[in-house]
Amino acid sequence: MAYEALDFYDIDSLLTDEERMVRDMVRDWVDEKILPNIEKACRDGVFPDEWRVDLGEMGILGAPLKGYGCPGLSYIAYGLICQELERGDSGVRSFASVQGSLAMYPIWDFGSEEQKNHYLPKMTTGEWIGCFGLTEPDYGSNPGDMITRAEDKGDHYLLNGAKMWITNGTIADLAVVWAKLDGVIRGFIVEKNDPGFTAPEMTGKHSLKASVTSELVFQDCKIPKDRMLPHVKGLKGPFSCLNNARFGISWGAVGAAQSCFNSAREYALSRIQFDHPIASFQLVQNKLAWMLREITKAQLLAYHLGKKKDEGTWIPEHISLAKMNNVDIALEIARMARDIHGANGILDEYPVMRHMANLESVKTYEGTHDIHNLILGRHITGIQAFTRES
Amino acid sequence: MGIAVLLKQVPDTTAKISVSGGRVDESAVSKWSMSPYDEYALESALQLKESGGGDLVAITCGPARAVKMLTDAAAVGADSLIHILVEDLSALDSTQVQAILAAAVAHSGSDIVFCGKQAADTNAGSTGPGVAHLMDASCVTMVSEVTPDGGSLMAMRASPNGNERVSVSAPCVFAFDKGIIELRRPNVRGIMMAKKKVAETLGPADLGVDISTSSVSIVGHTPPPQKPPGQKFEGADSVAAVVSKLRDEANVI
Repeated sequence: MAYEALDFYDIDSLLTDEERMVRDMVRDWVDEKILPNIEKACRDGVFPDEWRVDLGEMGILGAPLKGYGCPGLSYIAYGLICQELERGDSGVRSFASVQGSLAMYPIWDFGSEEQKNHYLPKMTTGEWIGCFGLTEPDYGSNPGDMITRAEDKGDHYLLNGAKMWITNGTIADLAVVWAKLDGVIRGFIVEKNDPGFTAPEMTGKHSLKASVTSELVFQDCKIPKDRMLPHVKGLKGPFSCLNNARFGISWGAVGAAQSCFNSAREYALSRIQFDHPIASFQLVQNKLAWMLREITKAQLLAYHLGKKKDEGTWIPEHISLAKMNNVDIALEIARMARDIHGANGILDEYPVMRHMANLESVKTYEGTHDIHNLILGRHITGIQAFTRES
Repeated sequence: MGIAVLLKQVPDTTAKISVSGGRVDESAVSKWSMSPYDEYALESALQLKESGGGDLVAITCGPARAVKMLTDAAAVGADSLIHILVEDLSALDSTQVQAILAAAVAHSGSDIVFCGKQAADTNAGSTGPGVAHLMDASCVTMVSEVTPDGGSLMAMRASPNGNERVSVSAPCVFAFDKGIIELRRPNVRGIMMAKKKVAETLGPADLGVDISTSSVSIVGHTPPPQKPPGQKFEGADSVAAVVSKLRDEANVI
């Protein structure tokens, strides 16, 4: 059966032809390449290199960036790409988010002309993979107190410190690393062969198993002077990147939820208990109706946020709300879908348990659910509640 | 030398088909796609174009929704698009469709035509030979691949004795079967280019084709008969019954 995405309020009619075509291209690719292979990739704990090549060939990496060979699509199109990729698997969407929003975007926005010309054309084709080093073992929600330091040694910078939970780290050709230079957070481009830089893979994950997660370790890592991003200082740099990635996640979560909903609906219609399909029982219908309701609300949230991104009328708090809400309902839908599948829900024959485990990570990364609540709390009251000192 | 590829938009092969009032209910079709045999023709035409074969025009005859399929063809590399707008294609007989398509090929100035061996909905299989007849062109059917061959074209086709290679010169028509090639996936660059390629929309009358009288009238569509339900046997006691059924009814042992 062809995949029929839940679109109760006909969001499709709001899209441009170009946006629909890009969406369909990615949707077909996910059907053809991801869905038949994702469970094996998860079991093996690998992100198949073929997927990198395909994403580059489709031309969707760094989707909303313009110039330097980048696609120059609308933010809505970028959102749709994330939605379709995450319908396949959150790990695949994570790869694209990190490459486009976290590695390409800071070079595109804060890099020198030379840096942009050197890195972006090869990153949009997927030839070079990027990663983003902000989080540290002891500094997750509080990146401002990071320990990683850069020292100006005259003709080079010396980096020391460690980053953790870095998607794509081990397979990356370059890392955009945030470190303190004279107490001020700056962005540095570290290449994989730079002396003193290693990126060991983290193992033992029960979530995002088809995505590579790594540590980045800098031990007297020597990098040339022209690798610092010249045009940004402070937390504004990493936070700008995170805004774009979080925007993509708000759409991606919808894709994961759509996948779980479809699986639950199909299962409920075919599973017979007490002589009737379980879809005919009120408790199951109540669950399906709740899923439809929350997915529809999440779609409208994501679409309108996309409009605001394209018009430039957004504020970061808009993104916090959408990321937090959409991941929250997607996770709840995944859990509920697992419930409807009964014992079968734990098998890899169905996508629900995989989405559920993935979404636990998605709820936490890119600003935890609670941190986004605090961002909104500060917006509402004018009082920050992240720390006891103001 | 110009290449034309004839495309038809059909219900997706995975879409559910329902019959209402003795007719296939087109409004209930959830997804419309390019007919699969036409996809092979399009891919082969693109490959010929890339080996120096001239401009590629994609032509379809069908209702307004069919223009989406032409845009999809543009996204993978068709240079120009012609849409002959006919709202109810089922009111036309095969010779009328052939006349329209042959006139559109002439209008485009193409002398090499690629098409599927049959459409996945009607499966009539008459378009290729019919258009070739009207163009007074050579026609090769059941083609899996076309490659340049000096000033001519070499077509690979399935025959009872294995693959056959047939060399023809323009004007010619190739009707495609499933072969080794698959239609390429579009990319963002192609999709953005496709925006700029606007289909030329014509009516049959613009091409001088009269479609007032069809020689065929469809009496009705019926869904295929339901398969009888399978039989289920349980327990060791049923072995004798199963064996006798396999031997006497199914004739498999």
